[in-house]
Amino acid sequence: MASSLLDSAKAAIDLAKKLGANDVWANASRSNGVSFEMRNGVLERVEDSTSRGLSIRLWVDGRYSVHNTNDLRPATLENFIKEAVAITRSLQKDPFRVIPDSSLFQGRSTIQLDLVDSSIASVSREERIELLKKMNDRIQGQDKVLSATASVSTSQDQSAAASSNGFSGSFESTSMWIGAGVVLDEEGGKRPEEGYFGGGRHRSELPDPEHAAEMTLKLARNRLGSSKGPTRKTTMVVHPRAAGSIVGRLLSSLDGGALQQKRSFWADKVGKESVSPLLTIIDDPLVVRGLASRPFDSEGISSKPLPIIEAGVLKNFYIDTYYGKKLGMAPTTGSPSNRILALGTKNMEELIRDIDQGILVTSWLGGNSDGATGDFSLGVRGHLIEDGAIGAPVSEMNVTGNLLAMFSDLRALGNDPWRYSPSKVPTLVFENVSFSGV
Amino acid sequence: MSRLTRRNVLGVGLTGAAALTLPAFLANSGNPAHASLLDDAPEDPFRDWFGIDESTIARVMAELMSGGADFADVYFQHTRSNSVRMEDGLISSASTNIDQGVGLRVVIGDQVGYAFTEDLTLDSMLGAARTAAAIAKGSNKSPSPQRFALGKTPSFYQATVPWDQVGIDAKLPLLFRVESITREMDPAIKKIGVSWSDSDERVMIADSTGRVVRDRRPMSRLGVMVTAEKGGKLQAHSSNLAGRRELGAYDENKLRQVAKEAVDRTMLLFDAKRPPAGEMAVVLAAGASGILLHEAIGHGMEADFNRKGTSIYSNMLGKEVAPKFVNIIDDGTQPFERGALNVDDEGNVTEKTYMVKDGVLTSYLHDKISAKHYGVKPTGSGRRESFRHVVMPRMRSTYMESGPHTPEEIIESVKNGIVAETFTNGQVQIGAGDFTFYIKNGWLIEDGKITAPIKDVNIIGNGPEALRNVTMVANDYKLDTGGWTCGKDGQSVPVSQGMPTVLVSKMTVGGVNG
Repeated sequence: MASSLLDSAKAAIDLAKKLGANDVWANASRSNGVSFEMRNGVLERVEDSTSRGLSIRLWVDGRYSVHNTNDLRPATLENFIKEAVAITRSLQKDPFRVIPDSSLFQGRSTIQLDLVDSSIASVSREERIELLKKMNDRIQGQDKVLSATASVSTSQDQSAAASSNGFSGSFESTSMWIGAGVVLDEEGGKRPEEGYFGGGRHRSELPDPEHAAEMTLKLARNRLGSSKGPTRKTTMVVHPRAAGSIVGRLLSSLDGGALQQKRSFWADKVGKESVSPLLTIIDDPLVVRGLASRPFDSEGISSKPLPIIEAGVLKNFYIDTYYGKKLGMAPTTGSPSNRILALGTKNMEELIRDIDQGILVTSWLGGNSDGATGDFSLGVRGHLIEDGAIGAPVSEMNVTGNLLAMFSDLRALGNDPWRYSPSKVPTLVFENVSFSGV
Repeated sequence: MSRLTRRNVLGVGLTGAAALTLPAFLANSGNPAHASLLDDAPEDPFRDWFGIDESTIARVMAELMSGGADFADVYFQHTRSNSVRMEDGLISSASTNIDQGVGLRVVIGDQVGYAFTEDLTLDSMLGAARTAAAIAKGSNKSPSPQRFALGKTPSFYQATVPWDQVGIDAKLPLLFRVESITREMDPAIKKIGVSWSDSDERVMIADSTGRVVRDRRPMSRLGVMVTAEKGGKLQAHSSNLAGRRELGAYDENKLRQVAKEAVDRTMLLFDAKRPPAGEMAVVLAAGASGILLHEAIGHGMEADFNRKGTSIYSNMLGKEVAPKFVNIIDDGTQPFERGALNVDDEGNVTEKTYMVKDGVLTSYLHDKISAKHYGVKPTGSGRRESFRHVVMPRMRSTYMESGPHTPEEIIESVKNGIVAETFTNGQVQIGAGDFTFYIKNGWLIEDGKITAPIKDVNIIGNGPEALRNVTMVANDYKLDTGGWTCGKDGQSVPVSQGMPTVLVSKMTVGGVNG
């Protein structure tokens, strides 16, 4: 399969060159997915999908553009590329638009990323239904349950890329996820909902279905009786399930585009201690079975671990070829992969034991942050922390501040990263966080 | 959870094309330059857009209905999208995207089997139909239709020149012009990004009642992003204008409006502070504040959640939920607006649906499945992101009608509070009713007067409670023309929203403490 995709990519390059392109990058991909969803014991939705696509990047007379299609009939494709070349010619010349340098393709890692579980392609309808039933039966009919849903999904993805300056590569991956959701009936008309999902590249990464269902129920029951907490400045503990998102916000303006367009609060921070020295983050695309692992990036740059923050000091930006040229910086990679944080020594419960008063954030609701300034404001749900223990549930609250300032007040990290995510982010403890509530 | 890998069709990052050749699916058609396909009925209406004849549709439909389904439909779609970007004074990036396929759905009770194929060949479609039909066995014994009739549709956004016939050469001057207008507005501006996107989408929906409906849907969007520097500090913001509009709609006035909004919003940020934290009065400025309705009530009124009993509004139909002067609407019929639809993605004609009339909850938003469940007429709210996705009840353009007060009265009535003016995003929990929206620009109100700009404030509230707390509604309804996109269950669809100036007496404002 991957070899036929590579042939398609190479054929597209030859065709585009024949039709006038100076340089060409082509990517051909195919994905299959099947998902089953059960609600209250009845199989409610079955979806089956097969998609393919061809993407070409063209450099024509110092000009550049990108074109995608899923109509791969030969005659159609030739017209499509002919038109793509014409479109490129009508744009402006830009000296920074060049094909990624072939030296970046060197040194591809020989690590076996183990991204494929071939058994996932043959998971049967009966096996899926059995998994769904196992989850459903632990939830349906339990006290206060209005709606129980369970889902199983599998996917197989293949992708191949080639370039007119010698790049050639392909890779495949699979994934399988299961999960459950529940809506409870609460006095007063509220219907709290929660879900628990887990999975990975291999079937063996799946959580036990009964455990997933019980976690779902437990998480939802934890929400019963929630109310708005107090407006105050206090310690914030972020649950590992929610911690990846706040770290993502901190790192969101580290790309070359944000830097060059002056939309990054990190712009003048390289080499300076800007956040707590407890924070060390490596972007590692070579994690075995990693959900964002890859042998090379979309520019063919061979994957290697990239230090982002070392002991509070910014080490690298995400730089692609175009913005690298504009900024006079060497390309690293244009897009993030698996972000791995250096861990602490205690788990969430142990960290909470040391806190007299605070709020445990279990999930975010909406909100946003400004990449140019780092200012943020986010909706939260969670629990009060009182005398070292998790207390009453709170909802309908906001946290507000500045990302750099808040991560400077990072006081501890846990040893308990959330496993069902490409980022390995544990419990985070921040001091002096502004909560808005009553 | 990780959903199946799916590509978005109408993303912002798509680009502009010199539509010099017509898409190949038209190549077999006798009349490729057909510009008004909706009203005149060609001799073979099915073949005209997708090269599919009636007997092919009949065979695929028979396969879908073979397990005794209650209902089935087939959704053909072809989309061509284009985008162009300008940065640092240069237009050096463009993209085109062609996406086509057919989605096949089988409905038995509440059960849905769904499959799609990107090959419009009979064999591929029959294979996908078998997969979709495997969901369950039904009891319907009536025969699958052999003949199909083309249904009439209204026309809210017919283009005189469709986007697939507009070359990139015609679009570039627009980007140059808006960039130069923006640059001249303030010397503090350091960076300007201009983005353009347009798309031309054709859908054809055939269902097991023998109905075929077609719709051609244009969409366009112009965005301006600005970074300014003042006193060693950087601030960035943006503005955009979007709708089912054609090139001619982007005249000098519109370009000036987008540029001025982007610059004004950015420059305001330099003096803006964070408000105090806690509960206070929130005045929603006319226009984009409709985001409150989208989150606080719109999603909760989508009938799939109510049918399943999982929305906080599940048992509230016919009840008084707001003061008498509150009317909240979801509308697919506003000409050329982003949320407009001639027909929904099940082929039902869209309408103007009152969700709240004179303060009383009047109607959910229905697709076919929920309409059947409730025994009502569909509201034309069945939508999907593309042929890869199942239909769900969704919003179109959500707004509140004007009320009896004036904006001045409203501001004067507030002792301590804020005005919410521009927004980036919002979210809701359907069951608990808790919703949020993020204010990028706003104002502080002290003793009935607007005193200072504020920024980066998340608001959180509870839907039914916020509606009860709508204490004043002004007479200045305005529809926002920004490029709003709504996400639900992994599917994105374009929407609009609007609002008059409104006072909500109390919500929790994300500010800073002491």
